[in-house]
Amino acid sequence: MKLVIIGNGIAGNQVAFDVRTKNPDAQIVILSAEDVPEYDPCSLPYFLGGECQQTDVFRKKPGDYAAQRIDLRYDAKAVSIDPDKKRVAIHTGEQIGYDKLVLAHGGDLFIPPIPGIDTPGVFSCKQLSETRKLAAHNGTRAVVIGSGAIGIEAAEALKRKGYEVYVIELMDWILPSLFDEPTAKRLENELTGYGIGVFTHEKVLEIKGAGQVTAVVTDRRTIDCDTVVVATGVVPGTALAQTAGIETGRGIQVNRQMQTSIPDIYACGDCVETIDACTGEIAMFQLKHNAIEQAQVAARHMLGEPVRYLGAYAFARAHFFDTHAATFGKTQRALDCVFGDKRIVEREDKNNYLRVVMLDNRIVGGQAIGTFADELGLLIGAMWRKDDFLDIAAKMRTLPKGGAVHAWPMVRLGHLLGM
Amino acid sequence: MNMRREQLAIDPEKCTGCRRCMIACAMKHHGRIDPDLSRVNIIGLESQDLNVPVICMACDTAPCIKVCPMNARIRQANGTVTTNTDVCIGCRACVYICPVGSPRINPYTGRTMTCDMCEGETEPWCVAACRQEKALTLCTQGSVSQRAARQAAGKTKQFHTGGCV
Repeated sequence: MKLVIIGNGIAGNQVAFDVRTKNPDAQIVILSAEDVPEYDPCSLPYFLGGECQQTDVFRKKPGDYAAQRIDLRYDAKAVSIDPDKKRVAIHTGEQIGYDKLVLAHGGDLFIPPIPGIDTPGVFSCKQLSETRKLAAHNGTRAVVIGSGAIGIEAAEALKRKGYEVYVIELMDWILPSLFDEPTAKRLENELTGYGIGVFTHEKVLEIKGAGQVTAVVTDRRTIDCDTVVVATGVVPGTALAQTAGIETGRGIQVNRQMQTSIPDIYACGDCVETIDACTGEIAMFQLKHNAIEQAQVAARHMLGEPVRYLGAYAFARAHFFDTHAATFGKTQRALDCVFGDKRIVEREDKNNYLRVVMLDNRIVGGQAIGTFADELGLLIGAMWRKDDFLDIAAKMRTLPKGGAVHAWPMVRLGHLLGM
Repeated sequence: MNMRREQLAIDPEKCTGCRRCMIACAMKHHGRIDPDLSRVNIIGLESQDLNVPVICMACDTAPCIKVCPMNARIRQANGTVTTNTDVCIGCRACVYICPVGSPRINPYTGRTMTCDMCEGETEPWCVAACRQEKALTLCTQGSVSQRAARQAAGKTKQFHTGGCV
């Protein structure tokens, strides 16, 4: 079997090494658009902020590939796929034949069409090469456009490096897809407390500067700066799949075995469109744990094992300086277009905050700041099990005092929910 | 994947909340009598008069390994999952995703720590400390307590298997 994997990211490597452990004979080729071994994009902001060494961001060493007889080709950008002849063309014109193909090239950074976005001094923080450039850049005032997880982490990293940092968010609150307004407002206060300027509900109109960034113009103000970080989100890469005629929606469409609409072509990682494991609706969670799980499913199915992907789930944490927050599942805003009996449970204790989102008395999401977050995993478990909240509340009321030893997992969950 | 051959079983009914296991754990790993440095965490459920020792269960498909941004959660040869404190940056992702909330944060370094079954010892120090009450016991293959532990763990099976069946 000749296995060709496009993309040297988390998902691509997981497929390659999983297949290798179970099939010593397969010929495995990884086409990497970059010139480094596998690294973890999640750790790039920490490398930028100087919290870890550059060597710590790598998940593999160059020698690991040769030791597992995996042929890793650097700077090989796949440009088209011919599914009839089972060949992949790379940018040099070379054709590579395959028996099984895996699309794991991930997502592309969404670059908003702002005038001046290609001025020197504008960086991103998604790829190692870009982050290296940003780390080597000497500046004093930085503007981060977009306040997703990457944006907030980059803002913290730049603050650690001694920059004066401003974050601009188009939506009404920071981390808009991860947190609801009350949680996000608290985080915003924390960020402001650390000296990071946060401007929400503002639109960047222009990046000024000839030869070097000098200012960012929004619809409300002009911020002088010498560094701009674009963190406006990641869009799944579908252009390559379309050259092969693979069905795409927001991302590459796959079935429960991670197969695309064309036989012998699999897809996994940030480039695919999956379903939410708890609600069953189409979802795009471009997160590391989902990429790993999808890649494991693809590898096992390729090796002939009966396997079924259960779906992706959202889990993210926001962490800056001494503030720790985490979120999972759906936010209240994501539920706005869903029918059902919605309920929010909130708990507050000084700086700690817990917010649990329920739909038809089942936990579908939650957010927490501070000590409440330490037990957030219990709520994630309850979401997977689809525990009925009313049942738990009723049982908590009727438990005999001191006599419910075996109900302790439920008692713990009930305590966390303030029952 | 290295399957665990032995596992710590807890019995909250027997736990008196004396915290000797926590002190033993801190002594073993840090050489100090300081319950904050323990990898075992005793949670007091006052309404039920219960003390529940919470320990890392080393899930077969541990979610903490997948969510760690620094890839610091590593499966050891004896089946446990521990934090590589050289690269851990204390983001607490493993604490938040953990289905039992077991990783503890070292208050002095900010990094997380979980049970390593006292690798190299004849039995974990917390088990030795709890020999009288037997709330913490070591169960090996085929033992009754392991079956009980499995039964209890079965309730969260879907979560532990992550995204795969």
